[in-house]
Amino acid sequence: MTDIHVSSPPTVGGGRHLLEVKDLFVEFHTRDGVARVINGVSYHLDPGETLAVLGESGSGKSVTAQAIMGILDMPPAKIPSGQILYKGENLLAMPEEKRRQVRGKEISMIFQDALSALNPVFPVGWQISETLRTRAGMSKKDALNRAVELMDLVKIPAARARIRDYPHQFSGGMRQRVMIAMALAMDPKVLIADEPTTALDVTVQAQIMDLLGDLRRDLNMGLILITHDLGVVADVADRIAVMYAGRIVEHADVRNVYKHPAHPYTEGLLDSIPRLDSKGTELATIKGLPPNLMRPPTGCAFHPRCKYAKAVCTTETPLSLDLGHGRTSACHFAKEMLDGTLR
Amino acid sequence: MFRYLVRRFLQMIMVFFATTFIVYALMYWTGGDPIQALAGEKPVNDVLRAQLTKEYGLDQPFLVRYWNYITDLLHGDLGNTLVGRPIKDVLADAWPITIQLAVIAIVVTILFGVTAGVIAGIRRGSIFDNTTLVLTLIVIGIPSVVLAPLAQYLFTIQWKIFPTTAGGDASLWDLLLPGIVLGSLSVATAMRLTRASVSENLRADFVRTARSKGMPGRRVIGIHVLRNSLIPIVTFLGVELGSLMAGAIVTEGVFNIPGVGYQLSKALTTEDTPLIIGIVSVLVVIFLVANLIVDLLYAVLDPRIRYE
Repeated sequence: MTDIHVSSPPTVGGGRHLLEVKDLFVEFHTRDGVARVINGVSYHLDPGETLAVLGESGSGKSVTAQAIMGILDMPPAKIPSGQILYKGENLLAMPEEKRRQVRGKEISMIFQDALSALNPVFPVGWQISETLRTRAGMSKKDALNRAVELMDLVKIPAARARIRDYPHQFSGGMRQRVMIAMALAMDPKVLIADEPTTALDVTVQAQIMDLLGDLRRDLNMGLILITHDLGVVADVADRIAVMYAGRIVEHADVRNVYKHPAHPYTEGLLDSIPRLDSKGTELATIKGLPPNLMRPPTGCAFHPRCKYAKAVCTTETPLSLDLGHGRTSACHFAKEMLDGTLR
Repeated sequence: MFRYLVRRFLQMIMVFFATTFIVYALMYWTGGDPIQALAGEKPVNDVLRAQLTKEYGLDQPFLVRYWNYITDLLHGDLGNTLVGRPIKDVLADAWPITIQLAVIAIVVTILFGVTAGVIAGIRRGSIFDNTTLVLTLIVIGIPSVVLAPLAQYLFTIQWKIFPTTAGGDASLWDLLLPGIVLGSLSVATAMRLTRASVSENLRADFVRTARSKGMPGRRVIGIHVLRNSLIPIVTFLGVELGSLMAGAIVTEGVFNIPGVGYQLSKALTTEDTPLIIGIVSVLVVIFLVANLIVDLLYAVLDPRIRYE
């Protein structure tokens, strides 16, 4: 087991974060051209904290996570610039073997569809204990016992009896719990959950979200929750980073976002949540489609869909504007949005 | 599981009767004159003809003859060849040779086809991948009537590496070249199948999971990918072994190997109807058993398959 040696000094400005993504760029080189899918993303995460990364499909939220994990297929993916600092050390500069040691042990990840993410031909106990056997040097028996403990931890009933069952023998919610148990096997400090509840029933979604919240608190992990569903993050997340076309368009505490969105895209997302008190009226939607990242629009990538778009939006790319209290918005009219004077 | 097995056995019995009946009927209506075939070129006088007709039961109606044949068969009596040798003995001599040949062919298939398929599947689009792709296309394109004599000419006459023919008491070395020729057709198919299976599984979500668990690349491929890729490969090899057991009429003929395929082709040219039906009946049984084993193996390899 190689420990991660912290060599670099704390970043300027005091506190060093557990995980910090700094000005990350990712592009995909395909036969049809280059798609710039991540364009200068920065976010950070501290122990015991939940960061929700929100956005539509193709906004780059999953790609950022895969870049952190180091499981992007390169090629076609390429990371031209940026840093991913874990405990101050740049993961992108690490040799692959050292990077591999970080995966699963320091930073773990769970995926959307647990049925396809679990290997169909191995029993769940085998899969949960795999890292313990091969990386922590535990005996087969000890590793299986630990797997039972982990299955208890994620509240799978009759864990010991089910250790030899295969993934297809579990219900969707239980499968996602198996996935979580597997991700927790090496006591990671960071857990990335990539749309963990999208494939599940609504009632099961709430249970899984609660479980993730509890585990994050009990194990003092940092949790990155990737989702396109604003509804699921309200109770769990501390901060929200809203992504659009490979950029973070708004980054704020969860309360502030719900009360006063500082970016038209966030506002659009909030308006498109169905409400009980608006029964009978047509549900608001964001018109249009996300941009083609091979040929992104000029200026602000959101301007073709923005109901407030002005002339400047079509020509100038908005910079991330600091609105105080750790809040940023990449809109030319962020201040006006907060004042409520933007029309 | 038990109910599945019972159902499969009932199916096998029905298939057995149907195929033997069809073969018997085909031989009955197209088989020509068995007595003339027995006598060869010599003319047969009427007294002898009447006597032989009675002896072989040729005066009986078709269904009675089929019934007699099947009852004998179920008692383990395959009957005699036209020249009077028990068919059981013919098969007892031919089987061991054919089985050796089939095993050599399967080993060749696994050694070259599966290995090359795994490498090509991992390195899709590489020089190795493209080269083997072209080679397999060529091998698939050449029929064994061409491939077997060509290999025999090159390796035994031109370069004198292997013995030219195998003969009666063939050693493993004698059977090696015919085995490789026989296997080369399955090598191509096995390689294509393995390549497709490996490259498909490499893109699977569970591979991404294994990588994010921090598993080293060789374990991701060697355990997670390969274990899944084996499912179609083992199925293919099982069925292939079954059909190789049927003997290779061309290969055994070219290399003069007295196996099952050789006996079958000889029986066809001498119009030895009892021998043809006897060999085909046994082959049907072998095919059925091989298929059953493959299906059962499938459930062992893929836990998602359960037989009810």
